Amino acid sequence: MSKKILVIDDDPNILDYLSALLTDHGYDTQVAPDAVKGLETARRFLPDLITLDIEMPGEWGPRFYRQMMQIKELKNTPVIVISGLSGNEHAIPKAVAAVKKPFDREELLRIVKEAVG
Amino acid sequence: MAETVLLMDSDREHGEAIRTYLQRHQYDVTVAGDAQEILTRLEHEKWNILLGNPLIDEEAAAGRIADLLKEDATIQLIVFGTTAQVDRAMDRFALDAAAYMDLPINSRALMLNMARAKNISLKNHKIDRYVQRLTDLHTARNHFLQLFDSVPCFISVQDRNLRITAINKWFKKHFGNYVGGYCYQIYKHRSSPCENCPVIQTFEDGQVHSTEEVVTAVSGRQYHVLTYTAPITDEKDEITQVMEISTNITQIRQLQDHLTSLGLMLGSMSHGVKGMLTALDGGIYQLETGLQKQDEARVSRAFDQVKTMADKIRDMVLEILNYARSRQMQYAPVPVADMVEHVMKSVRPAASKHNVICEVFLPEVPGIIEIDSVWMESALVNFLENAVDACAYDHEKPVHRVSLTVTVEPEEFISIRIHDNGVGMDQETREKMFTLFFTSKGSRGTGLGLFIAHRVIQQHGGAVHVTSALNQGTELTIRLPRKPPGSVGENGVSPLAP
Repeated sequence: MSKKILVIDDDPNILDYLSALLTDHGYDTQVAPDAVKGLETARRFLPDLITLDIEMPGEWGPRFYRQMMQIKELKNTPVIVISGLSGNEHAIPKAVAAVKKPFDREELLRIVKEAVG
Repeated sequence: MAETVLLMDSDREHGEAIRTYLQRHQYDVTVAGDAQEILTRLEHEKWNILLGNPLIDEEAAAGRIADLLKEDATIQLIVFGTTAQVDRAMDRFALDAAAYMDLPINSRALMLNMARAKNISLKNHKIDRYVQRLTDLHTARNHFLQLFDSVPCFISVQDRNLRITAINKWFKKHFGNYVGGYCYQIYKHRSSPCENCPVIQTFEDGQVHSTEEVVTAVSGRQYHVLTYTAPITDEKDEITQVMEISTNITQIRQLQDHLTSLGLMLGSMSHGVKGMLTALDGGIYQLETGLQKQDEARVSRAFDQVKTMADKIRDMVLEILNYARSRQMQYAPVPVADMVEHVMKSVRPAASKHNVICEVFLPEVPGIIEIDSVWMESALVNFLENAVDACAYDHEKPVHRVSLTVTVEPEEFISIRIHDNGVGMDQETREKMFTLFFTSKGSRGTGLGLFIAHRVIQQHGGAVHVTSALNQGTELTIRLPRKPPGSVGENGVSPLAP
């Protein structure tokens, strides 16, 4: 069964990109444009991995993470930060990886594979 | 110190006797018995008193003695000799000699004349010193005045009442010849002393104080200056006046602010650019994979995305390049009516495309305004285009209007009000609208237009006030001086300094 990945980013172009990239590489992918919908989708979809942008309107990435950690079914889900902010590796210290935008496709896929297989 | 005496006497015995007598009275005496010896002594040593017969050799020695008396007023001549010799000496030296004595010498007369000669010599010595000091003082004063006037700073000297007692050339050129006026009136156009006045502080504690101030020249232009004050004391070390030295740092401040904002802008831009580059990557990826999979829909979507991203990146790079370029602002007077007409001409096509009615209201005599037309018109067009866009986004109202109203304000200001009945803004959007982080146009905006437009207004010495209500509309009130502030020269620096 395909591993499930939830992509959370406020930029629709990036959602489109990551969705196509991950789906093409055999992952079952869903997307959410903000933290609120991200949490809703995550509860329903129960992903094996979440990719998370940091700077989003409304609630930002770290706040989503904190809320996610309060949910029993989600608190162990690995998170990869994908953000253009410098210093994004410090935004969510427990993230399995922090990837800077623009990212190298192969590198991202390698990190994803390492995180979920 | 003993007076040095050259005793000119061809009678050796006589000379020695006088020498012995004078030495007992603390004179340092050397005897010269002939003209050659006299000349040698005069050449190599300094004498206070020349005593004896200067006409030993009428040609050589007498001439040299006469010259010396004229060159150096501290050298005194006392003549003694036979009556005939004294007569000839009187003819030759007249008032240049201090005394004449016939032989045989009266010792008391000799001592009195020696003392008198000594006093005259001392007095003349003092006079020489005073004259030298006066000359030095005069030279120093000239040097000081040259420095005072040539230093490219505004220098003024104030007394305890803050009245200006002296100014240099630069001060006079930019602030007028107001010696006697109060410094706070001349510099700041105030009616009372400034708070934390550095001049007053220096009067109080005698220390140097510095501040950064904004002062107003006679031209009306405002300068940023860095001011230092220094105490001027009298001979009793009491502070009688304070010198105020101000360096014009307007251009430096503008450049500094420009660099700061450039750094800030580039910092914030980088996040946006990274997003665009990632989206571009995404488009390229989908184009490649779409072609591989022969998925036409994917290819088509991807191509559009690549094109859009490339356009956005190009626009952003061009805006950054324009922003960074330090173009010299070129202020020139233009009729307000002409400025408005050019601006509306640019905006009308886009407005009519979106069925937005444009209205212009001008006063009877709008007058002239000094602006950099390129930047100012671009800024106003930007504001108007935003107003038109706000109307285009609104789907509630049947008729959309954008109006531009110019009103004449007191104290040489004008007001330009841009009103639209478009979508309006909430408080957060309104507060952020001129910042670099803001764009409400999503993928179509770069977030720089309003920021730059706002800065242009500020650089012209103006301000923008915004009122807005969601779903009702927005009003921008732009207040501009007819004459913009600038630096010392005719032109300011780049408009994109704050």
